Amino acid sequence: MSNEIWVFAEQQEGKVRRVAFELLSAAADFSKKTGSTVAGILLGSGLQEALKSLTSYADKIYLLDDPGLAAYTSDAYLIHMAPLIKEHQPSILLGGATSTGKDLFPRLAMHLQTGYAPDCTGLTIEENGKLIAKRPLYGGKVFAEMIYLEAKPQMATVRNNTFLVNQNLNKSAQVIPISSPIDPSSLKKKVIGLEKAAGAKLDITEAEIVVAAGRGIKAPENFKIMEELADVLNASVGTTRATVDEGWRDVKDQIGKSGKNISAKLYMAFGVSGAIHHILGIGTCKTVVAVDTDPNALIFNYADYGIVGDLFQIVPALTEELKKAMAEK
Amino acid sequence: MDIYVLVKQVPDPEANVKVKSDVELEIENKYFTNFFDEIAIEAGLKLREKFGGKVTVLTVDNKKVDALRRGIAMGADDAIQITDPALEGSDPFAIAKTLAAYLKDKPFDLILAGRQAMDDDAGIVGPGVAELLGIPHVNMIVGLEIDDPKKELKVVREVEGGKEILSCFLPALFTCQKGLNNPRIPQVMNVMKAMKAQMKKVDLAALGLSAVDVGGQAVKIKVQKYLPPPKRPPVKMIKEDFPENVKQLVKLLKEEAKVI
Ligand SMILES: Cc1cc2nc3c(=O)[nH]c(=O)nc-3n(C[C@H](O)[C@H](O)[C@@H](O)COP(=O)(O)OP(=O)(O)OC[C@H]3O[C@@H](n4cnc5c(N)ncnc54)[C@H](O)[C@@H]3O)c2cc1C
Ligand SMILES: Cc1cc2nc3c(=O)[nH]c(=O)nc-3n(C[C@H](O)[C@H](O)[C@H](O)COP(=O)(O)OP(=O)(O)OC[C@H]3O[C@@H](n4cnc5c(N)ncnc54)[C@H](O)[C@@H]3O)c2cc1C
Repeated sequence: MSNEIWVFAEQQEGKVRRVAFELLSAAADFSKKTGSTVAGILLGSGLQEALKSLTSYADKIYLLDDPGLAAYTSDAYLIHMAPLIKEHQPSILLGGATSTGKDLFPRLAMHLQTGYAPDCTGLTIEENGKLIAKRPLYGGKVFAEMIYLEAKPQMATVRNNTFLVNQNLNKSAQVIPISSPIDPSSLKKKVIGLEKAAGAKLDITEAEIVVAAGRGIKAPENFKIMEELADVLNASVGTTRATVDEGWRDVKDQIGKSGKNISAKLYMAFGVSGAIHHILGIGTCKTVVAVDTDPNALIFNYADYGIVGDLFQIVPALTEELKKAMAEK
Repeated sequence: MDIYVLVKQVPDPEANVKVKSDVELEIENKYFTNFFDEIAIEAGLKLREKFGGKVTVLTVDNKKVDALRRGIAMGADDAIQITDPALEGSDPFAIAKTLAAYLKDKPFDLILAGRQAMDDDAGIVGPGVAELLGIPHVNMIVGLEIDDPKKELKVVREVEGGKEILSCFLPALFTCQKGLNNPRIPQVMNVMKAMKAQMKKVDLAALGLSAVDVGGQAVKIKVQKYLPPPKRPPVKMIKEDFPENVKQLVKLLKEEAKVI
């Protein structure tokens, strides 16, 4: 086994996801304790920019730049990654708990017959290189510290915003191009298209700030005031199941047990009653603000700051106040 | 079409779950069929309505068979319980191994599972089964279009910033999530029928597996310690009148929480 920590440098359309930089920063910290080499593994097609963005974050980059990898499929990625992992035997392999990470890692772990901790909200390492992965269970009602038995690599996917990006690592990675031509016709799946969501906002799982409205917003067109608030904060707009079931919002923006878990730095909820199903999706947010007309709304039990008030009054005023505050910065 | 749906009975999200000791949880006895598995059952039933065939629900569990009953009540044709004392202590990989061992010589066209079980929230079993069976999988689908089971089908998965459309041939495995459909509510008659239904039981020996393949002996990862969730400090209610309350909030976010 080598003493390497690998980070899956997931990219979409040539841009490496922020969570990969977060994990490379965490890995750099771990390596101080274990003396490990930190390596990124980058797959795709036309990766010049992606590679450039990564080199100061890793000691090594395994580069698989191949037209056959233009779009992610688990088949194509697995065929490329598995032999490389078997050859180099990293002690740890980390990735973001993104839609791609959650699609690829469990299958890869099964293929490699190794341990995998999904959707982690914390990682620590011991001097002997043993990883301890912390993950929420039962939607965050309890947490578990998981440890790995013998098999390597120790695999984990980690939620966005779990670690901070350290822009001062100043590494200069050695790039190791890997050529593994595969016959694309051997693959069983192919991507035939991508429908981009309207608007340029980040997915709610990736955004550092998420503002949400629930049924209290009363009508789909009223989400306009939420979009305006979000724009000031560079935030994304989330919601509850109630509005999704009404057909007001897309399910991709639903926060909670049957939607998404978010780990935002700041989460602000307006007209959200705070049902446990919703709360389970925000357990790892750092600061929570709640605004509701009902002083007994459950959401206040989970908030850091609360205002009893009418969102139609508060949201526009808050947008204006934040504009001023941001301008002062 | 021959469709298998993997189902699990899990604690209801409203159930109390507490840490009892470092390695033990106390779970309130309030269970339901995993929400995402109902979506998978619904998807299977819709395809059967279109193409004919059979929907079989399948669970690995030594005690709880209510997810199977739910499947039958919704309209599944058959229900299988894989049960064996040696399964105790299994991790999701062992469960996947067990399911794959059952499925490997069945004439399936399609296997459906939930995005994740609402207890361990792992999302491992679906892709794990697909890997062991050597069939393609797509995780967390929100769309599925099959015109002809012999031809290429279209499946949609959500990705950050959009939806990705993929094509593949059957047999395949998909894990289902909200957005794919709205599961039907079973009719009372069918619920009664399901209460009386006999589940077929299968043990490990019948699958050619033994205790070393599953259970505690096969785990690759284990819980070292359960922890309660971090406690939030009590809420600070901002009591000033409007618009002072808004000003106060911005001040707190800036100076106290330091998040903007
Ligand atoms: C007999 C038994 C003993 C166990 N003992 C322990 C133990 O000692 N310690 C411990 O920590 N855990 C134990 N488990 C729990 C086990 O590790 C996982 O819960 C496993 O069942 C699946 O992982 P998951 O719940 O995270 O499923 P996920 O991977 O999140 O599930 C995704 C999907 O896979 C399917 N699926 C999942 N589980 C099953 C199943 N059992 N049958 C059919 N389909 C399924 C469903 O479609 C589900 O939506 C045991 C489970 C069983 C059945
Ligand atoms: C299996 C299962 C899974 C579920 N999964 C999820 C999930 O993933 N995510 C999720 O969110 N829910 C989920 N739910 C649903 C959940 O139980 C609640 O029904 C839902 O979260 C309620 O949404 P809401 O807060 O928008 O609506 P409501 O509960 O109707 O709350 C609306 C709130 O708005 C307030 N309000 C009204 N007018 C105003 C105003 N002018 N200004 C300010 N406040 C106002 C009201 O006082 C109230 O508190 C799930 C339920 C089940 C059974």
